[in-house]
Amino acid sequence: MMSLFRDPILLAAALGTSLPFLSMAIILIFTRHNQRLSASISVGSVSTSVLCALYLLITLSHAGAPIQYEFPWLLADDIVIPFGYLLDPLSLLMLNIVAVISFLVQVYSIGYMAGDPGFSRYYAFQSLFAWAMMSMVIAPSMLQLFIFWELVGLASYLLIGYYYEKWSASQAGKKAFVMTRLGDIGFFLGLIILVLGFGDLSIVRMNEAGQAHNIPQYLLTISALLIFGGVMGKSAQFPLLTWLPDAMEGPTPVSALLHSATMVAAGVYMFGRIFPFYSMSPEAMGLALAIGTVTMLLSSTMAMATYDLKQVWAYSTVSQLGFMVMGLAAGGYFAGVFHLTTHAGFKALLFLCSGIFIHEYHTNDFRIIGRQGGRKLLIPMVCMTVGALALSGIFPFSGFFSKEAVLGVLANHPNKLWLFAGLLGALMTAYYTFRLIFFMLFPKSAGEVHGEHDSHGAGHGHDDHDKEHHGYIFWTMAVPVMILAAISCVLGFSQSSLEHFLLGQGTVPAQLAASHGTEAHAVAHEGHGIGHYALLLAAVTMAVGGILWAFFEFGRKRATQEGFLRLFPKVEQLFAARWYMDAFLRRFLDDVIYSGFTNLFTRNDRRIIDGGIDGICFFTIGSGRLLSFLQSGMLQYNLLVMIAAVGVVVLYLLLA
Amino acid sequence: MNCLNTYLIIGAALFSIGLLGVLQRRNLIGMLIAVELMLNGANVNFMAFNRFLAPEPTVGQIITLFVMGLAAAEAAIGLSIILALFRRLHSINIERAQQLRG
Repeated sequence: MMSLFRDPILLAAALGTSLPFLSMAIILIFTRHNQRLSASISVGSVSTSVLCALYLLITLSHAGAPIQYEFPWLLADDIVIPFGYLLDPLSLLMLNIVAVISFLVQVYSIGYMAGDPGFSRYYAFQSLFAWAMMSMVIAPSMLQLFIFWELVGLASYLLIGYYYEKWSASQAGKKAFVMTRLGDIGFFLGLIILVLGFGDLSIVRMNEAGQAHNIPQYLLTISALLIFGGVMGKSAQFPLLTWLPDAMEGPTPVSALLHSATMVAAGVYMFGRIFPFYSMSPEAMGLALAIGTVTMLLSSTMAMATYDLKQVWAYSTVSQLGFMVMGLAAGGYFAGVFHLTTHAGFKALLFLCSGIFIHEYHTNDFRIIGRQGGRKLLIPMVCMTVGALALSGIFPFSGFFSKEAVLGVLANHPNKLWLFAGLLGALMTAYYTFRLIFFMLFPKSAGEVHGEHDSHGAGHGHDDHDKEHHGYIFWTMAVPVMILAAISCVLGFSQSSLEHFLLGQGTVPAQLAASHGTEAHAVAHEGHGIGHYALLLAAVTMAVGGILWAFFEFGRKRATQEGFLRLFPKVEQLFAARWYMDAFLRRFLDDVIYSGFTNLFTRNDRRIIDGGIDGICFFTIGSGRLLSFLQSGMLQYNLLVMIAAVGVVVLYLLLA
Repeated sequence: MNCLNTYLIIGAALFSIGLLGVLQRRNLIGMLIAVELMLNGANVNFMAFNRFLAPEPTVGQIITLFVMGLAAAEAAIGLSIILALFRRLHSINIERAQQLRG
């Protein structure tokens, strides 16, 4: 306990991660009825976390080895499961992402949630999330990671169902909870198998043992595949992806924080966390690559067919998560984590901008927002365009660099199919992103169409007449958005220093960095050879092509704003219905689970278990009835039997 | 004639008569008296063994005195139970007391 106060690093880690928990407890117990105080406590604690995280990042940016504090928590024979902190480049990076975005979103929420009756509850849940997420990030063992992983899921459930009086919101919360839990079953089974077979859940030791081939190959593959189930649930990968679009029922800042920037990236983070372990199993990596690709392409198509502002970003989140998984699974540790970082920034930006529009126009339909003059809200419109450019991967913005890095990794993969899938995804991403942007920038029924603009479309010289009557509410929302936009503009240029930070040290052993980092390094970053320029050109062509395509269909003066999907109603229907995945799941639930397993188990319960217990009861009752005939009520018969019995005993003793 | 067997036979006869009485009499007072007979049969045995076999001639007598005391106590308790039963059933016939029949 004393060392806690002597060691500033440990103190900062403990303080930064546990203060939000304290704030949640205080809000729930004491200050629920004082909304201002609740918000101040929550924002205060999370800003302390930001300071702690930044301090840790700066102090430890040149530390050689990862710093690990552990104390044994579960002891069983020779299995030791520790609790504590693991501070290495990856966890420090993620800690900062989570802390900064939590802070910005909580500040933003002061404006967005103003006047909501559940304001204090909202901040309590936000604090719960911040605590769980940050504790998960710095967990040194998989079990601690799993515990906080589940707590993060709880926070997600509570925040999706925040408007619990709304039927669809409570349903969406349940759906998210159950679907992610489905993946977590696999995760937990994987951990159990790992404990039984390997006997240690420490992340550092798992990675080292995986690299040194100290874990049998079959065990490694099985546990890696099972643990990937957790990634599929949390990061909304292919079979379990439909919960994320539904999760948009929660308040928009929640969507920004949990369901795009940080929580859903937890799956990808966990993948990166045990990346050296994973990379030793080619089967698991292959499966992850395939699932990431399918997820990315499917959700990109879904985003083309919706008119809901938040749904578009939700599908795009799923698609970008798939892209990160592709990057990691193709062996690009840095590329995947880098894309996670930049994505957290620009996707939070996009959601927070959308939140301002939704707050202003009380609708999620971006066609209506466009027609009502959404572009007159200058700050969010410019920032949203910045975010959209970053998402599409246009040069100076952060998304460009990270997408290049991931595509560079895919280009090095022997199978070029993945690269083409990645490029196709980039094209579709640019298309659906700018479909939305053009709908909002150039609304048709507004009559007046502005002159030709470049695809940035950010240069409209409208004065912000809305600012005055918004007052502080508008600015609490606008300032975080502007900060995020600035981050999205400059984050890409930190690529080389981030790469050095992540790969130069830490839990990823040197040989791994050498085997997986350098080709990616060589191609995506250093840019040797023709192949790199061809790839760069292809990626930029795809992004610009997608934007021009969207411009042709939605942006130009005589555009019909219908989109090519109108020509194929069947296909549009397919995309809009999410490839019938929900319908399939519904059928699967009804036909296989409910009428199959559940029916079987109900029958088993009724017939065999209940029947067995009933049988025992009937037997007891019946034998009691029979025996009660002996109880005649005549004292002397009883006496006779007793004496006869004594006589028999005496005879036995005499004869024996 | 004055040997152990004579007394044992008398004791056994007394005990058997008492046993028969307990099992056969329907009158509770009669049953109580029959129990006294059984006790006295046992007492006769004790006295006989004391007289013919025991190295210490007082042990059997003391036990007999105890049994008599016990019998008195038992009679007192038994009679009070019978009294209570009579108050309730207005009868001391054992056949009337059959409420615990299964």
